[in-house]
Amino acid sequence: MKLLAATNRYYLGLVAVLFALASGALYYGVNAALRHEVDEQLGLHKRQIAALVQAGQPLVSTPFADQFVVSARPRRLGLTDTILRDNNEHTWVPHRQLTFRLQAQGQPRWVTLRKSLVETNDLLAVVLGIMLAVLVVLMLSVLLLNRWLSVRLWRQFYHTLDALRRYDLQQHRPLALPRPRIEEFAELNLAVTHLSERLVADYENLREFTANAAHETQTPLAIMQAQLEQLLQVSALSENPTAAPLLADLYGATRRLSRLHQALGLLSKIENRQFAKAQPLDLAAVLDEKVDQLAPLLEARGLQLHRHLEQALVLAMHPGLADSLLHNLLYNAIKHNQPGGDITVRLSAEALEISNPGPAIEGDPSRFFERFRKHHAATESPGLGLSIVQQIGAYYGFAVTYCYAAAGQRHTLRVAFRPAAA
Amino acid sequence: MKLLLVEDEPALRSTLIESLRQSGYVVEVAPDFVQAYEKIRLYRYDCVLLDLTLPGGNGLDLLRALKAENPAAGVLILTARDTLEDRVAGLDLGADDYLVKPFHLSELNARLRAIIRRRQFQGQHHIVFRDLLVWPERAEVLVHGESVALTRKEYDLLLYLLANPGRVLTKEAIAEHLCGDAVDTADTFDFIYTHLKNLRKKLQEKGADNYIRTMYGVGYKLSGE
Repeated sequence: MKLLAATNRYYLGLVAVLFALASGALYYGVNAALRHEVDEQLGLHKRQIAALVQAGQPLVSTPFADQFVVSARPRRLGLTDTILRDNNEHTWVPHRQLTFRLQAQGQPRWVTLRKSLVETNDLLAVVLGIMLAVLVVLMLSVLLLNRWLSVRLWRQFYHTLDALRRYDLQQHRPLALPRPRIEEFAELNLAVTHLSERLVADYENLREFTANAAHETQTPLAIMQAQLEQLLQVSALSENPTAAPLLADLYGATRRLSRLHQALGLLSKIENRQFAKAQPLDLAAVLDEKVDQLAPLLEARGLQLHRHLEQALVLAMHPGLADSLLHNLLYNAIKHNQPGGDITVRLSAEALEISNPGPAIEGDPSRFFERFRKHHAATESPGLGLSIVQQIGAYYGFAVTYCYAAAGQRHTLRVAFRPAAA
Repeated sequence: MKLLLVEDEPALRSTLIESLRQSGYVVEVAPDFVQAYEKIRLYRYDCVLLDLTLPGGNGLDLLRALKAENPAAGVLILTARDTLEDRVAGLDLGADDYLVKPFHLSELNARLRAIIRRRQFQGQHHIVFRDLLVWPERAEVLVHGESVALTRKEYDLLLYLLANPGRVLTKEAIAEHLCGDAVDTADTFDFIYTHLKNLRKKLQEKGADNYIRTMYGVGYKLSGE
C-alpha cells in the first residue's frame, strides 16, 4: 500500500466517524431546540387564552379547527405528541399538542392547542442534507488534494528512488541528487549521496588493492617459475626419483597459481570495464581458431566436434574477450564430457549454443556460474571458467543460460546475443 | 648470437641469464631504461628481450629507439602487463613477439629461435640434430635423408623440442605450447603423451634413435647423448 493511500484511509476514516457523530448530535440538538420552541409557543398561547377567558371573553372557535379544540369532556392534560390526518394533502402530519382546563362562563372546558411539526422536520432534513453534501465534497477534495500532492510534492522522493534503483556501482560515480525544498527529502538525498560516496570510495580501494595485489604477485611467481625450471635442468635433481616429482609438482602449482591470478585479473578487468575497445569480429573465425588450438585435447579424448554455422555473424566485441568467452565455453565442454562423446556448437544470429553429453550434475544450476564453483572439489581447475563466461556476457548484455536435457543427457550452455527482454 | 636482456627484477634477471647462456647465447643485461638506452645506442644485438615496465622509462620508448638505431635486431617483449593494447602497440612498433610473465623458459627459447631464424637467415635455415634434419620454412622433417610425414601438432612439438636440446621440458610448458595459454587441469596432460608417442613412433620407423627421453613425473627431454 502506498503511504498516501494509507494516510488517506486513516484520514477518511476519522472524517467519516466525526461526521457521523456530528450529524447525530446536530439532529438531536436541532430537533430538541425546535420542539422546545414549539412547546414554548404552545405555552404562550395557553397563557393568552387563559388571560382572555379570565377577562370574561367567550371561547370562540377559529377557522383552524385542527389547532384549537374545545371539549366539554375531560381530556388528558399536558404536552403530548399526536398524528393528524391532513385531508387536503392526504398525509399524516405530526403535531404537538397542549391540553389544559379552563373555567369558561362557569363551566369547565378542556382546551387543546396544536402545532404542526412539518416545518421542524423539513428544517432538520435541510440541515442534515447540507451536512452530508459537505462531507462528500470534503472527502473528494481530500482525495484530489492528496493525489495532486503525490504528483507534486512526492516527485522528489520518486526521483531519489529511481536514482537508487538505477544506481550502478560499476560506474564508479556517487549519486548526484538535487537538494529539494522539502526538508525530509533533502535529508534523505543527503544521506543517500553520502552513502554512495562511501560505497564508491570503498569499492575503488578494493579494486585498486585487487589489481595491485594481482600484479605484484605475478613478479615473484615469474621468479619462482623460472628458477624452478632452471632447477629442473640440474640433472642430479631431474633424474633423482625423490626430488624430480617434488620439483615438478611445485612447478605445476606455481603455474596454477599464476593462472588463477590471470583469471581473477581478467574478471576484475571486466568488472572495471577496462575493455572499452570493441571491434567488429567474425565469431565463426574466432571459433575456428579456438577449435584448432584445442584440437589436441579433442583428439586425445576422442571427442567429435560438430559445428553448425547458420550464417556469418559479426559482433562488436573486444577480441580478447571474444577469445576468452569461446575458450572457456569449449574448455568447459571438453572438461565435463565423457570419453568418446561429442561437442556440438551451434552459432546463429541469435545465439551461440555449446552442448555436450554427460551425467547430470548435482546442485543448483544457477550456482554453476559462481566463482570457485567446481564440479569435483579435487580438480585442479580453480572453477572460474563459467563465471568469466557470465561476466563477459553481462558486459555485452548477452544472456548466458544453462540447461540439462535429461532425455539425451546433454548439457547445453547458451549465450543469447539479444536477450528476449530487450 | 648476442642478446640484450632488459629486465629490472634481479632474481628473474639472473635466472634468465643462466638459462640463455646454457642455450648458447651471449647475454648482456640492462636493469633500467637509461642503461638499456645506452647499450642500444652503443652496441649491436641480434635480439633484445625487453620488459615494458622499467624504472626510468617506458619500454615502448626503448623499442622505438632500438628500431631507429638497428632495425635488423629482433625484439621479444617480456611483460607482466597482459593487455591487448600493449600487445598491439608493441607489435606495431616492430616487436617480433610478446611473452607474458610468468612464462616457461623453454617457451622463451622456442620464441627466440623462431625470431632469430626469421631475422638472421630469412628462413633459409635448417636444423640438424643427430640424424634429424628439419627445414622449418618448408616444414620438412628428414631422418637419414628420408622425409617423415608428421601432423601439424607433432611437427610443432618436434620443433619445440629442437629449440630446447638437452633441456627438461615440463608437461605444463608443452601443453601450453601446443594448446595456447589456458590449458590447466592435470588430466589434460594425457594428450601430450599421445602426441609424443606418435612422434617417437614415426621417427623410429625411419630409423631415428630414440632421443626423446621421458623424465618421470616431470616431462620430456631431447637428449643429445
